[in-house]
Amino acid sequence: MAEIIKYSEEDLVELLRSNDKSAFEYLYDNYSGALYGIIFKIISDHEQAEDVLQEAFVRIWNNFSAYDPSKGRLFTWMLNITRNLTIDTTRSKSFKKQSKIQSSEKAVDYASNNNNEKERFDALGIRNQVSLLKEDYRQIIVLSYFEGFTQDEISKKLGIPLGTVKTRMRAAIFELKKILQT
Amino acid sequence: MNQEEFISSGLLELYATGISSVEETRIVEDYLKQFPELREELKEIEISLENYAQANAIRPSSSVKEKVFDRIFPDATVTEEKNKISPVIPINRNPQSNLLFKLMAAASFILLLGSIALNYTYYHKYSNANEQLQIAQQKIDHQEKSNLAMTEDLNVMTNKYAQPVVLNGTPHAPDALAKIFWMKNTGQVYIDPTNLPQVPEGKQYQLWAIVDGKPIDGGMIATEKGIYHIQKMKSFGKVDAFAITLEKEGGSPTPTMDEMIVSAKM
Repeated sequence: MAEIIKYSEEDLVELLRSNDKSAFEYLYDNYSGALYGIIFKIISDHEQAEDVLQEAFVRIWNNFSAYDPSKGRLFTWMLNITRNLTIDTTRSKSFKKQSKIQSSEKAVDYASNNNNEKERFDALGIRNQVSLLKEDYRQIIVLSYFEGFTQDEISKKLGIPLGTVKTRMRAAIFELKKILQT
Repeated sequence: MNQEEFISSGLLELYATGISSVEETRIVEDYLKQFPELREELKEIEISLENYAQANAIRPSSSVKEKVFDRIFPDATVTEEKNKISPVIPINRNPQSNLLFKLMAAASFILLLGSIALNYTYYHKYSNANEQLQIAQQKIDHQEKSNLAMTEDLNVMTNKYAQPVVLNGTPHAPDALAKIFWMKNTGQVYIDPTNLPQVPEGKQYQLWAIVDGKPIDGGMIATEKGIYHIQKMKSFGKVDAFAITLEKEGGSPTPTMDEMIVSAKM
């Protein structure tokens, strides 16, 4: 059994900059699930979604020198790479040809059947907590943070003015912080 | 905007979720540079979003990790395997292990004996089961054959062209009876000999068709083993009468009139 190591974000970034394999393994073990959850929200086909995840981690490794901690956290940066790659994939010709429509229930089943014992924290507990989030707030976070829609697109999708997108987003995150603190 | 106004503008949230416009992103990054204490504010937003993403995590299959690592560290797995040297386990020769060895050998021997006994019983059971299976198989075969014969019989009897002809017993054998199914379209003749008397040793029934006053051989009727099924005889286009005589085995060129058992005029 490998001992469980917990890196601070600063240490992890430092090790990754020196191409440390075990740090990258830690990165994969702790974040692959969260990133995969986001990819699968957009591409509901496990085979294709897993290809994107694979590509995303290779990019994260190859472009690590481009990460600037002063602009945000490591996960935010990784998520941006992953989300852009996912959206690019859905726009590619080969994807349109073979894209399959799958129900979101399937994703839920898949998630609940896969206990990620390497999760940094009690995901199940947090799952229950975030389910308390109001539907309006959940929608706006999923559309922006998970699916990468622009403010314009969100305003059209939800039928709300552009200004409301900003205020609702702030309220949604405020609510999310509150839920996660209790 | 001062710091307070900046925080309440919601720009940090848009920036953290990745949907701030190019202009908004520039503003946020400027503020972060100018007021490093804002980074704490951003960090909190990012952590809550990160936790939300973790709450929606889905575990990918383990093959993805392998593929990623194979691509990033292509030589790693090979060298690791090369470096793996099988540990050498010294053979221990102290008396204690010798006793242990003896005990284990004894235990193995007992197990072997038990195994032989079990093998014997199971083989016995297996042979028995096999025998019974074969008997059952034979029964099924037999049933299948008779089913097939019955189906054939039914096909003849229910054929729409079949004209049934009843051959009644002669004074010679008043209880005898035979049925003929004569296919009007093809002239084929089928006979059902079920109600003919038992054939004496060395004898056989022969069918005759009387055409223009002359008896013509219609074929020998098979009655072996007592299973009488409808059987196909010779074909006739035109017949005045049918008759069955008892002849010596193999048949006779002319009918023995004294031994006529049944007959029917058309």
